[in-house]
Amino acid sequence: METARNRLDTLQPIELAEGVEVRLRIAGPLPRGGALGIDLVIQWAFILLCTFIFSLTGVMVGALTAMGFISLMWFFVWWWYPVFFEAGPWGATFGKKILGLRVVQTSGSPITFGQAVLRNFLRYADGMPFLGLGVMGVPTFGFGIGVLVGTKRFQRLGDLAAGTVVVYDKLPPEPTVPSPPALEKTPPPMALRPEEVKALSAFVDRAGLWSEGRRVEIADHARELSGSKGPAGVSRLTAMARWLQERK
Amino acid sequence: MKEGNFEERRQKTWQEFDELVGSLERRKPMPGVSELPRRFREMCADLALANHRMYGGQVVTRLNDLVIRGYKMLYRSQRKGGESFMRVVLSDFPAAVRRDWRLFWLCNLMFWLPFGVMMAMAWIDLDWIQAILGPAGMAKLEAMYGGEAEQLAYFRSEFGSNFQMFCFYIQNNVSIDFRIFAGGILACLGTIFFLVYNGLMIGASAGYVTYACNSESFWTFVAGHSSFELLGMAIAGMAGMKLGLAVLKPGRMTRPKAIANAAKKALPLIYGAAGMTALAAVIEGFWSAQALAPSIKYSFGIAMWVLHAAYFLLLGRGANEA
Repeated sequence: METARNRLDTLQPIELAEGVEVRLRIAGPLPRGGALGIDLVIQWAFILLCTFIFSLTGVMVGALTAMGFISLMWFFVWWWYPVFFEAGPWGATFGKKILGLRVVQTSGSPITFGQAVLRNFLRYADGMPFLGLGVMGVPTFGFGIGVLVGTKRFQRLGDLAAGTVVVYDKLPPEPTVPSPPALEKTPPPMALRPEEVKALSAFVDRAGLWSEGRRVEIADHARELSGSKGPAGVSRLTAMARWLQERK
Repeated sequence: MKEGNFEERRQKTWQEFDELVGSLERRKPMPGVSELPRRFREMCADLALANHRMYGGQVVTRLNDLVIRGYKMLYRSQRKGGESFMRVVLSDFPAAVRRDWRLFWLCNLMFWLPFGVMMAMAWIDLDWIQAILGPAGMAKLEAMYGGEAEQLAYFRSEFGSNFQMFCFYIQNNVSIDFRIFAGGILACLGTIFFLVYNGLMIGASAGYVTYACNSESFWTFVAGHSSFELLGMAIAGMAGMKLGLAVLKPGRMTRPKAIANAAKKALPLIYGAAGMTALAAVIEGFWSAQALAPSIKYSFGIAMWVLHAAYFLLLGRGANEA
């Protein structure tokens, strides 16, 4: 049951050296594709801009020198831009930063320079098969996507080799709208297991999101605990949750 | 203890931790930063407690977030760029090449065998070379190496394009190394393809030039940087083959684990290959096309090959292998 849930959920529990478990939200193919798209736009825009500037300055320093600078810049933008940004304090390229993603080791700690090199150079293999022009064509990212959805932690080939995962930098807070405050506090009629306490407080924390009918429908599942059906059950559960959460 | 009690009692500590980590994230560490490890362990204990007691989502989410932020700060990798660079150059890289000497020879074979066959084909059956280079490629080679021995040098100095060629070689040749490496993860296929392909192309070009053009202008040109470039390519191939072999033959590990292990070991090889190819570009850009006597260029080339042999045989014997 526990493992089945972990397999489905993108919340990845990771145990730190301190013996505590933190949860990282792994990013799926869609936000990562978006980040890649933004990065490509940035890379192309930068290259075009520099090409423009170098062509202008080419008049002064000589056209061939300017062409040299352009090919050198091409090399750095293409291979090294993601490496330096992911190994830096951001842990993310511009595209990932914009979408709130970050690259971390599977242990949850920031990645090293070597890992950034591995995962970004292997993007070439992830980009295969190429459309047209053999090995120089337009990458389809078929291999990358295939491996990504086939692995438990959404890792492409480069991630597997480097031992990295892409996570959401900040977990978006779960939407909570508490229910109208209960007027009274009632102790639960029986001792509750920790999971049940958690379920009860989650119910109260989110009850404000739902319509009255939905609240009743959910509360009816716990009628053995509340001892009543309908709106009365809801208020009984709310009262119990208050008793559990609030200090005496 | 109830959730409310817990939150109230620890609230202040969390706030302080939040501020401390925040100051580090803004790179303006506030006083008391040496407390971070202790405070971090406290936060971990709180999170474990909150998890264990099944407190509601908000408290756990908040603690989870704080612990992750603290972890990022505490476990930042220290940058010691210069030192580790020297270590890779002086010991890790040659030691890594020596450790996988079988792969080294295999990758060299994958390049030199097609190279040799194509060279020979220039005399045996020119159709093969025609098929590989195509008429356009052959015409280009003839334009470059067809006439006077110093033609290339003449063009270069005429237009002051040494720097441009250097940049182009960096971009083109180092990219090829990286692709050779990346292709390896496809069960070695990419690496094998690129090595054989380059062997065929370079062999055919060399064969054709030697057969039909002014061979001296070609061989004096390539002599200087040949060792850096061709060995660099073979070593990029080694890195790719290491990845590919981990895919094919993971041994007693799971495949992802084997790939990750192999990648870590391949890292100095990639650095080395990229460095060698970049040096090749320096030589190719600024030395190879200089108008110097062939004997000087040939002896420089031979000296470089000897230097490489010495480098890979002698350096880095010590801590790693003892």
